[in-house]
Amino acid sequence: MRNAFSKALVAAAEADERILLLTGDHGYALFDDFRHRVPGQYINAGIAEQNMVGVAAGLAKAGFRPVVYALSAFIPIRVLEQIKLDICCEELPVLFIGDGAGVVYSTLGVSHQSTEDIAALRAVPQVRILSPGDAHEMKATMELAFATPAPVYLRMGKSDLGPVHSAQPKLEWGKLVSVRSGAGPVVFIATGSMLNLAVKLAGDWPGSAVWSAPSLKPLQAESVTAACQGHRLVVTLEEHNRIGGLGGAVAEILSQEQPMPVCRIGVPDQYSELCGSYSYLMKEHGLDLDSVRAQVMAFTKKHSIA
Amino acid sequence: MSAVSAAYTPANLRRTILRMAYSGSTVHIACAFSLVEIMAVLYRQHLKLGSGPGDPERDYLVLSKGHGVMAQYACLHELGWLSEEHIRDYCTDGTPLKGLSDADVPGLEVNSGSLGHGLAVGAGLALGALRKGTGQKVYAVLGDGECNEGSIWETILFAAHFRLTNLLVIVDANGFQAMGPTAEIMDMGSLEQKFVSFGFEACTVDGHDEAELDEAISRLVKSSFPGPRAIIARTVKGKGISFMEGSNLWHYSRLNEKTYQDALAELEKAQEGAPR
Repeated sequence: MRNAFSKALVAAAEADERILLLTGDHGYALFDDFRHRVPGQYINAGIAEQNMVGVAAGLAKAGFRPVVYALSAFIPIRVLEQIKLDICCEELPVLFIGDGAGVVYSTLGVSHQSTEDIAALRAVPQVRILSPGDAHEMKATMELAFATPAPVYLRMGKSDLGPVHSAQPKLEWGKLVSVRSGAGPVVFIATGSMLNLAVKLAGDWPGSAVWSAPSLKPLQAESVTAACQGHRLVVTLEEHNRIGGLGGAVAEILSQEQPMPVCRIGVPDQYSELCGSYSYLMKEHGLDLDSVRAQVMAFTKKHSIA
Repeated sequence: MSAVSAAYTPANLRRTILRMAYSGSTVHIACAFSLVEIMAVLYRQHLKLGSGPGDPERDYLVLSKGHGVMAQYACLHELGWLSEEHIRDYCTDGTPLKGLSDADVPGLEVNSGSLGHGLAVGAGLALGALRKGTGQKVYAVLGDGECNEGSIWETILFAAHFRLTNLLVIVDANGFQAMGPTAEIMDMGSLEQKFVSFGFEACTVDGHDEAELDEAISRLVKSSFPGPRAIIARTVKGKGISFMEGSNLWHYSRLNEKTYQDALAELEKAQEGAPR
């Protein structure tokens, strides 16, 4: 997935010299190819994220297409005001890459973890949010981002979970992508790293459908209602706080358009307490396969579905 | 004096500011008055504005200290980019000009008011112009209180490291910030020494002396120094109106009929005494 990111970025930069990569002194090894192929388009702005985002705004106003890279723990949270005032207010074409979203940096602690970024940005007008679930979606979201001269945040989470799609899916802003069709009572909608787990989980509910949500904002009401049509229960999955992310967005739409129960699987409203591997922390937050299965079973039981 | 040099007369700009502040019942009057001469000299003698606010090769005036925006509106009014109605109806319901700078207004480059934003955007504009080789200059006007913001110093590091020779920072050093004198709240020490130690060419001038400002801007813009430049303009908050000068009250106070008329009368008197 990171390889797909790097390839897509280099290809875009080679094709368009207006694309400039700004990094907040992050991306060791990740940008080796970029620096080799298009060295003149690489700017290490140092450990100074506020300035980096402001500079990106100025470069965008001067006609460039900046790509701003940092850990998702720093972009958007540390620079939310710069994103709002300097970029989004003016609808500038800046692509933000937030790497290591969720609890990828599990052993480093809360400073490097990011489970509030989607919620924070969803309430900022004009910014679009992408969250690819595998390497195919990564390539597709990068292409969509570069084709859209607007503020975009691309959330890059756990990247080595393997492919979900067999080929690059066709992406459109706001639309869910079908992963597995079915007419059973349960429909799963997942984003980012949780897409992989959703597919595994769906096997336990015969006939369930699985959809991916690579475009979290905009999220089209028609696409969500169409995906949920014919099912009785909705389960959303994300490596993000249960508040304000995919689950919140889906619940907002369904509560108004097509009321039905929504089980929001995500990080409880808490920080990681202990040190541990990625899988250890996912379990701590109830996001490992067994924990999620138990949560979904309790939900289906509550709503009288075996 | 020629017609050109008669434009942007500080007394006229201050009169426009007073009219805006009175009609809109707005605050931040003193913040605008301290930078009137800085704005006047930039608009009159230095900014190359090309065919208008959307000209892609215009020089950029970035008002990072958005609280002084009325001084820029007054200049844009003289320039003809803002109409009489804009001034007359300032800050009233449904009008476009707000109490702090807003990039949606043609001629304003950044959203400010939250401090410490504009300089970074200006650095990006400067870097963009250097990369494109357009010869554009970026003039970024900051407040000394604004220099409390860490983001300002991030950009100062960046501007020096990336040798933004087309960036000229002008600090409107009026010695006050929202709650009182900067020396008491967050003493910035010598801003000139700080800029120099960060890799700028810098000097300090009387920010109400137009000739001195013009000379310093011309000298720094033409300098062969291989980095960004800064001018610390020593100014008086509320400059031009005796009961506003050096009084932080006029960061917050609104004009009433009496203070408005008193202030206008002072400007009239000052202008009568000035050479024509």
